[in-house]
Amino acid sequence: MHKIEIEAEIDLIAENKRLAEENRKFLKEKGIKAINIMGAIGSGKTLLIEKTLDALGKEIKFGVILGDVVCKADHERIKKYDVKVEPINTGKECHLDAHLVNHVIDVFDDVDLILIENVGNLVCPVDFDLGENYRVTMVSVTEGDDVVGKHPEIFRLSDVIIINKISLAEAVEANIEKMIQDAKKINGRAIVMKMDLKTGEGFEDWINFVRNLVE
Amino acid sequence: MSFAMAIVENALKMAEEKNLKRIESITVKIGELLLINPEQLKFCYQAASSGTMLEGTELKIEFERAEISCVSCGKKFKTPIYLCDSCGGFVSVQGGKNFVLKKIEARNGI
Repeated sequence: MHKIEIEAEIDLIAENKRLAEENRKFLKEKGIKAINIMGAIGSGKTLLIEKTLDALGKEIKFGVILGDVVCKADHERIKKYDVKVEPINTGKECHLDAHLVNHVIDVFDDVDLILIENVGNLVCPVDFDLGENYRVTMVSVTEGDDVVGKHPEIFRLSDVIIINKISLAEAVEANIEKMIQDAKKINGRAIVMKMDLKTGEGFEDWINFVRNLVE
Repeated sequence: MSFAMAIVENALKMAEEKNLKRIESITVKIGELLLINPEQLKFCYQAASSGTMLEGTELKIEFERAEISCVSCGKKFKTPIYLCDSCGGFVSVQGGKNFVLKKIEARNGI
């Protein structure tokens, strides 16, 4: 019996890259934009989608993809709206990938904008390109004002960073300016928005951003 | 877990193509900017390879370094940052995001 070495050099994320490109091609051909909304559990991702549908549902044709380990609860919330919505139960996985999105993307061939809610997690979703046009990462002050510094990679690769629940900052002793500075230090090109979805403070900035995307 | 499963699926496919009888180790190279914990990857590899011809084989992990440097003054950084802390120039980040099945060590013949 002799020992042999096989030089493999196989790209293990090639399949995700290929399917992300397929998703991107579909979106481009149909003239659709897609936003990948990432953030921790409870940061406000689903509420952001609900408020966006409330504010712009009459002028923009939305589609919604909801990713969660079990996404029945979020699906119940979004299906009250007059939009196409596809829930993706990831089961064991802590992130969406291009393959899961590829399964449902054809449904959205007549919409203007797809809002994709990723699984609540500031780590794994970063490594999986879905073929989206924009990456949005949402954090809330209740996660602690060091949350941006602790998860640099997701913020480095985001186009928009939303700091939510700012009306609670004082109560949880979170320094909003520190969060903004941490975000700018890692990613100076990102748009940073301070927001409070419950009171509506700062929400107009997001609405303007979304409106500009589809114009 | 999905990374571990990708290793197992691809290694088994290659073992079949090359008609490998007994595999001893698998070597992967992971980009240092990927959010993969090597110890967890090894643990997941054990679970994902269980019941296959890869069960009990060693997973060797190498790292691909990212090139992080200021485009103006060339200063190098260990972790990504947007602007250079010496000259204020933009800092470029190259590589460090790949995940490659590099090598399979096996024993063949009698």
